Amino acid sequence: MKQFEHHDALSIEEAVALLSDYEGKAKIIAGGTDLLGALRDEVFLEYPEALINIKTIDGLDYIRSDEKGLAIGAMAGLADIVKSPVVKKEYQMLAEAAYSVATPQIRNMATIGGNLAQDVRCWFYRYPRRIGGPMVCLRKGGKFCSALAGDNRYHSIFGAAALSDISLDLGKVRKGCFAVGPSDIAVALIAMDASIVTTKRSLPAELFFKATALSSTVLDSDELVKEIEIPKLPMGAVQRYDKFTLRKPIDFAVVSVASMLTLNNGVCEDARIVLGAVAPEPVRARKAEQVMKGRIVDEDVALEAAEHALAGSSPLRMNEYKVEIAKVLVKHAIWG
Amino acid sequence: MGDDYRFIGKATQRRDAVEIVTGTALYLDDLRFQNLLHGKVLRSPHAHALIKKIDKSKAEALPGVKAVLTWQDIPDWKGGTPRKLRVLDKKVRYVGDAVALVAASTEEIAREALDLIEVEYQVLPAVLDMDSALKHGAPLIYDEFPGNIIPGGTIAFGPNCLKGVVMGDVEKGFAEADVIAEGTFGYENIPNALPPEPVGAVAMWEEPNKVTLWSTSQAPYMDKGTLFHVFNRQVEIRCIGNHVGGSFGTKIMCWQVQAYAVLLSRATGKPVKVMFTKEEHMAAFTLRIGSRIHARVGMKKDGTLTAIHGTWYVDSGYYSFTTQAQVAVGSGELMIMAQCPNWDLKNIIVATNRNASGSTRGFGGQELKCSFIPILSLAMEKAALDPFEVLKKNYVKPGGGYFWRDGNWYQYRGIDYSAAMDKGAEQFGWKEKWKGWLTPTAVNGTKRLGIGVGVHGNADVGEDSAEAYVQLDCNGTATIFLCAAEHGTGQKSNYAKLVAEVLQIPLDRISMTPADSLITPFEFGPVGSRGTYAIGSAVINAAEDVKRRLFEFVAPKLGAEPQDLETVDGVVFVKGYPEKSLKWRALGYDRTLLGHGRFEPDFTVCNCMMSFVEVEVDTETGKVTLLRVVLATDVGQIIDPQGLEGQLNGALGSAGIDSAIFEETILNHSTGHILNANLMDYKWRTFTELPAMEHVVLETPMPTHRFHAVGVGEVATSPGPSAVLMAVSNAVGSWLHEYPVTPDRVLRAIGKVGYSARGGKK
Repeated sequence: MKQFEHHDALSIEEAVALLSDYEGKAKIIAGGTDLLGALRDEVFLEYPEALINIKTIDGLDYIRSDEKGLAIGAMAGLADIVKSPVVKKEYQMLAEAAYSVATPQIRNMATIGGNLAQDVRCWFYRYPRRIGGPMVCLRKGGKFCSALAGDNRYHSIFGAAALSDISLDLGKVRKGCFAVGPSDIAVALIAMDASIVTTKRSLPAELFFKATALSSTVLDSDELVKEIEIPKLPMGAVQRYDKFTLRKPIDFAVVSVASMLTLNNGVCEDARIVLGAVAPEPVRARKAEQVMKGRIVDEDVALEAAEHALAGSSPLRMNEYKVEIAKVLVKHAIWG
Repeated sequence: MGDDYRFIGKATQRRDAVEIVTGTALYLDDLRFQNLLHGKVLRSPHAHALIKKIDKSKAEALPGVKAVLTWQDIPDWKGGTPRKLRVLDKKVRYVGDAVALVAASTEEIAREALDLIEVEYQVLPAVLDMDSALKHGAPLIYDEFPGNIIPGGTIAFGPNCLKGVVMGDVEKGFAEADVIAEGTFGYENIPNALPPEPVGAVAMWEEPNKVTLWSTSQAPYMDKGTLFHVFNRQVEIRCIGNHVGGSFGTKIMCWQVQAYAVLLSRATGKPVKVMFTKEEHMAAFTLRIGSRIHARVGMKKDGTLTAIHGTWYVDSGYYSFTTQAQVAVGSGELMIMAQCPNWDLKNIIVATNRNASGSTRGFGGQELKCSFIPILSLAMEKAALDPFEVLKKNYVKPGGGYFWRDGNWYQYRGIDYSAAMDKGAEQFGWKEKWKGWLTPTAVNGTKRLGIGVGVHGNADVGEDSAEAYVQLDCNGTATIFLCAAEHGTGQKSNYAKLVAEVLQIPLDRISMTPADSLITPFEFGPVGSRGTYAIGSAVINAAEDVKRRLFEFVAPKLGAEPQDLETVDGVVFVKGYPEKSLKWRALGYDRTLLGHGRFEPDFTVCNCMMSFVEVEVDTETGKVTLLRVVLATDVGQIIDPQGLEGQLNGALGSAGIDSAIFEETILNHSTGHILNANLMDYKWRTFTELPAMEHVVLETPMPTHRFHAVGVGEVATSPGPSAVLMAVSNAVGSWLHEYPVTPDRVLRAIGKVGYSARGGKK
C-alpha cells in the first residue's frame, strides 16, 4: 500500500467539500471492504491522494420504517440489514441479498452505500500490479476490453458498457467494457423499485446504475449516496432473490435474479424481474415481465418468461453457460 | 497392538499446539534481525521476451535503496532440471518472471524502487499450452530444448532414473484382451496447493563465500544440497528451519526466493528478507504439473489388465526442478495401482510460457491417475465391470512388483490392502449404490446423484535416506537432533512420541533441536509419504542406539548383561528384578550419551488410499455439490489419532479433491497472465460447505519399523479428483474429460451449452 492522506469527515457537507477540494483524486472510505483491497493491489491507474472517512459521520446508519416504506441510511451495515426485523418481515428480498454478500466478517464492515458504489470485480481490471501488471484493459487506457480475447467466463452476456467520453465510435457494442455490475443489493433494490438519494439528487435505483467503462453508477466524483428509500411493497407481492455462485458463501454472483410478482388469485398483476452479474448494469427483464401480466402464473409461463428474459443475450466465447443458468434462475423466481 | 503402547496410538497434545493457537509460534515473518533489509522482485509483464535494456539508475538513486540487481549483476547461478535456468536471465519466460531484485531499508521503499526501474523488452511469441508448444516451428523457450521438449530423467534418482514404463509385449497383451479402450483425458487445471503461509527467505551473507538462510522450507538440509548446486558449488550454506505455515509438498523447494535473498544479502552485506505476497505465491511460485494422457488399455472380462500403451504429456511450465522426478514417481505409482504384464507408457515433458510447476503432494501420481483412471474406466464400462472391484483387483498385492524411480524393479513385500478397500466400500454402501456406468444412483427432479471411486498409493513411504541423533542426559531427558521443520502436520510431535516409546520417558522430557543444518545430521525432509517410515526409522534407530549405549554403560554397575536391562522413566533395571536398578543419573553430570540413527531407502513397501465420493449434480445449472467422502486406508499402526484424522480431513483442499470441483489456476490463454491469483477468484472451499467425511482406518502391522506403521497423509488427496470425475460422469450419463467439473463443462456434457471452453462451436 502507498501513502495517502486520511480525513475523518464529521458531516456530509464536509465530506463533499473534501471530495471537491481533491478534484477527483480522493476516495470515500466507509466499510473499506472493497477499497482497501483495491489499494493494496494498486488497482487504480492513479493512486488516490486521500481517503475521506465517513464512518465518523453520525446518524447515517439508520433503518427506519413507516407507512410509506423503508428508509436506510447509506452507512447502515449489511449485517444490520440482515438482522433487521422489519427488513426480514416485509422486505426479505433485501435481507436475502444482503446475506448473500461475502462473509460475516465482511458484512460486519460493509455498508449498503458502499455496496452500491463498489467497483467492478473484473479480473483483468483487478489484475495485481506487482505480477507484471497492470493489464492494460479498456478501463486503463487500452483500446479493447481484455475480456474480448481473454478468459471471459464471468463477463457480460448482454454486451458492453460504452466509454463515457465518446472518443470511440460506439456504433459497435463490442468496443466497450464487458465487466459485470457486482452489487447484489442493486438487483434487489431495482426489483423493489427503490430510490437512491444522493447529495445531489434522488433517482430510481434503475437509473442510478449507469455503467460506462469508467464507472458503474451515475455518481459524480463529488457526490455521495445518502439514503435508500424502498416504497411499501404492494399487497400480494411475492419477493424472491436467488444468486448462483460456485461456492455457497463468499463469492460474487455468476448470475443473480431478484423478482417481485404481484399476484391476485394466481393471476400476475405486476412483475419486476431483475438480473444481476449478466451485464455492466443490472438488467430489467421487461419483456419477461410483460408476457406474464394478466396470466395465471404456472410453469409454462415461467419458462416462456425465462426465454424472453434472455432473448437479447449475446454470450462471449466462454460464458454461454451463464445464459442457461440465468434462464433457470428466472424460471425459479417465477415458479419455485 | 496399540493398547500395548504407552504413547504410540494414544491421543497426546502436540508440542506446539498452544503456541500455534495463541499466535506465539514463530514463523519466518515473525523472526527479527538487526539491520534487516527488505527485498522485492520486479516481474515481467510479458509471457516471453528478451530484455533489451534495463536502466536502474533512478531506482538506485532513491534514498533507502541498498541494491538493485539485474541479470547483468549476478553470478551465473542456475537451477532447474537440467540445470539451465539462470536465477535472473536476459530472457523472461512467463508473466511474472523475475526481471530485477531490489533491497531497501523498508518494504515501501523497495516497492517504490521497482516502479523506477526502466526495462525495454523485445516481446517474443509465447507458447502458453502444450499444443502450441509442440507445434512444428513453435517459438523456443530455451535454445537448448528443441521442440520445447525437456529431457527426461533426474540425476537425483540415479543414472537409470525411470523415464516411462516399458515391459512385456503390448501387442500380445492387446491380442489377449476382451475389451480395448482408448481415449484422451487431461488434468490440466494446474491447481495451487496454496499453504496459508507464502514462501520467503532471510539470507545473511558472510564474505567471501558463506551464507546462512532462514526460510519457509520444510526441508532445510535438502536446501543446503539444492542451493549448493544452484550456487555453482562455491558457497557454503547453512539452512535453518522454523515453523512452516503448511506445505502440501510444495515447500521442499523454495530455491527461487532463497536465491533472491542470498543475492541481495551478498550485494549489501546485510541480512535481507524476501517474503512473497499472496499474489506472488499464487502467480509466481509453483503449481502442479499439467497432465494429459492419450492411452489404450486392454482388459479381460474379469478385469485383469493385459496391456497399457500410451503417451503422457506433462506440462512443466517454463521450467521445473522436479518434473522429471514426478514423472518417475508417477509412472511407478501407476504400476502400483494398475498391475499389468505389458506396458509401453512413454512421456513427453513440455516447457510452456507459464509459471513453473513444482513439487506438490501426490507428486506425479495424482496428476497421472487423474488422467489415466478415466481411460481405465472406459475399459471397465465396455466390460460392464464395477470399478471398485477392478481397482481392488489390480492394486499391487504381496508378490507383485513395479519399477520405481531409480529404474529398478521392486518386489512388493507389504500387505494386501483389499481388506481396507472392502471395509471402505461397506462403509460407503458402494454395492447398494452402484447402478452401472453412466447411470445416476438416484434422480430427484432436476438433481442427480452419482458415485465414483479412486485409488492411489506409493512406494515413497521408504524413500530417501534419513538420519537423526538422540542424546541422553543424566537428568532423565532426551534431545532429538533432526533436520525437519514442522510444516503443520504434527510430525515433530510424532517423532517425540517414537523416542518416548523407545526410551519409556514422558513426552515432556524430550526436547528437539531446531532444524539447523549446522547442528543436525542429514535429513531429506518430511515430504512424499516418508515422514512415518523413513524419518521415523532414523529417529527410532537413534533412540535404540542410545539406549544400547546406556545399557552398556550401566550393565557393569548392575552386574548384569546389557541385553537383560530395561528402562522406564529414567531408571534402568534388570528385567524381572526391578529392585536392581540405577537412575540415568548414574551417567554423572559430566556425561551425555549420543545415539545415531540412519535409514536406508526401501521401495518394497507401499501405502494405499481409496476414496469413495458421492456428488449431486444440478442438471439445470450444472452445479456439482460434493455430498460425501469416505476414505479407506490401512496405516499399520496409528501413531497419533488426531493428527491422522486431520490429515485425512485435509483431502479436500490443497490441490486435492476440490481440484475436481472448483479449484483451478486460470491462465489467460491470450496473454499468459494468471487471472485468479487471489482467494476470491481462486475457489478454495470454505468451512461452511464441508461434505460428510468418514474415514476407515485399519491397523494391519506392516513390515516397516518396530511400530509397523506407514504414512498416508500425503495421499489423502490423490484418489479423490478422478473419483469425482467418475461420479459426475455417472450422474449426468456422459463422460467429462477435464477438471474441474465447472457448470460450463457439466452443461456441455449434458448438451445444454454448445460452446467449448477451448473455443469454437462443438
